[in-house]
Amino acid sequence: MKIVVVGNGIAGNCVAFGMRARSRDHEICMLSAEKVPEYDPCALPYFIGGDVSRGAVFRKSLEDYRRRHIDLMLGQRVVAIDPRARRVTTAQGFEVPYDKLVLAHGGQLFIPPIEGIRLPGVFTCKQLNAAEQLRGHSGRRAVVIGSGAIGIEVTEALYKKGFEVTVIELLDWVLPALFDRETAQRFEAALAASGVRVLKSEKVLAIEGNGAVAGVVTDKRRIDCDAVVVATGVVPDKSVAATAGVAAERGIKVNRHMQTNVADIYACGDCIETVDACTGEDVMFQLKHNAIDQAAVVVANLSGDPVSYAGAYAFARVHFGRMHAVSFGKSTLSTQCQLGELTIVEREKGSDYLRLIMKENLIVGGQAIGGFADYAGFFMGAMRRGDDFAHLRRNRASVCSLQNRHRWTQRLIGDITGLC
Amino acid sequence: MTTQWIASDPQRCTACHRCEIACAMAHHGACRPELARIRIHCFEDPAFNVPIVCMACEDAPCIKVCPVNARVRVINGSVVTNEERCIGCRACVYICPVASPAVNPFTGQTMTCDMCADQEDGPWCVAACRTEGALWIDDGQRCSLQSTRVQADRVRSARYGASGARAHRKGRMP
Repeated sequence: MKIVVVGNGIAGNCVAFGMRARSRDHEICMLSAEKVPEYDPCALPYFIGGDVSRGAVFRKSLEDYRRRHIDLMLGQRVVAIDPRARRVTTAQGFEVPYDKLVLAHGGQLFIPPIEGIRLPGVFTCKQLNAAEQLRGHSGRRAVVIGSGAIGIEVTEALYKKGFEVTVIELLDWVLPALFDRETAQRFEAALAASGVRVLKSEKVLAIEGNGAVAGVVTDKRRIDCDAVVVATGVVPDKSVAATAGVAAERGIKVNRHMQTNVADIYACGDCIETVDACTGEDVMFQLKHNAIDQAAVVVANLSGDPVSYAGAYAFARVHFGRMHAVSFGKSTLSTQCQLGELTIVEREKGSDYLRLIMKENLIVGGQAIGGFADYAGFFMGAMRRGDDFAHLRRNRASVCSLQNRHRWTQRLIGDITGLC
Repeated sequence: MTTQWIASDPQRCTACHRCEIACAMAHHGACRPELARIRIHCFEDPAFNVPIVCMACEDAPCIKVCPVNARVRVINGSVVTNEERCIGCRACVYICPVASPAVNPFTGQTMTCDMCADQEDGPWCVAACRTEGALWIDDGQRCSLQSTRVQADRVRSARYGASGARAHRKGRMP
């Protein structure tokens, strides 16, 4: 059987190497648009800031592919899939036949249609070559457009490099996908205390400059700068899948076995839309741990085990200087569309802050800063188990009595939050 | 080599903190419990103390979330932090179901149990524990997913027959 993997990211490599670990009978071919072995995009902001070396960004070396007999074709961007002839075509004109095809080409950076976005001095942080350019850039003042997790990580990296950084966010608070306003305000205070300028509810209209970036114009002001980093998010790449007639909405649609609607085509990683492990709704979490889990499901199904995917979960942590924060599950913003009463549980101790979002006595999400963040794993456990805190409160005696000592995590949550 | 890890019984633990001190001694040569990789969570009820230590999960989530791939499984089965790479982002602490990675107060990096791989006498915390049965080295015989599965299969076939026909009729088990 010949397995062709489109994409040389985390998901693609987990499929290829996972498949090889299970069997030596298959021919495995990977098509990579970039010209380097697998690297970790999560490490790129730390590479820019100088926390890790270039070598530490890589997860594999070319030797690893050779040793496992995985045929890695670099610089081959897939442009078309012919599911009838079972063949993919690359932009360079190669045609590769397949028996099973795995789409793991991830997402593309969303580049907002702003004037001057192609000027030299405008950087991104999605791919290694872009990160290398930013790392090599010397300047004094930088503007980061977008305050998602990547935006904040790049902000910290540039701040460490000695830049004077301004973050521009279109919405009303920073990290809008992760945090509620109350948590974000506390995080912003940490940014501001370090001298990072945070501009909220502000829209970038144009990037100015004659041959190189000189400033950013927003709807409220003009900011002088010599570097701009675009961190406005990643959208799944659906164009290749469309050539094979693969169904896609926000991302490629897959079933619980990671199969698309076209026979023998699987998909995993950032390019797919999947279900939430806790709520069962359709979601897109473009996170590394989900990609690894999905790849494992693809490997099992390719090997003949009909394993079904348990679902994706949101977990993200951000930090700036000494402040560490974590977010998991849903934020208030993302639950607003759902029916039902939300209860917010807040705890505050010095600069530590905990915010749990509960719906009908179940934890559906939460955010924590500082010391409370250490307990994020306990809350996530309660969320995934579906602990009913009203029930636990009624049966308080049974929670963590000596006969029920496996319930000590629930007792601990009760001690922190007073919920049970 | 079978994977071994430290297992504990909260009912027997007296929270004497000897294991913490022994751990700090083994790894850092200092009597400082804040440098220990094992930690005792004390509840109000003094009969109940939970030693928290890395259990080297089979499908360890910390390995998946580390942005710089510093969490690695080593040859003896333990999952440890590569100090050359760790940037101290604490993702492993936050994803851990029991918050087992400890943060080194001096470097900000995380550290977890390595089963005292470089000590001849084996894990020092177990050696230091004075209460019989509070802390021991488990190799999966006493509590593991695999042994539980085997046990469950045995009970199920004894109760419902080899095919599990009764369970099927009731529609409770697949």
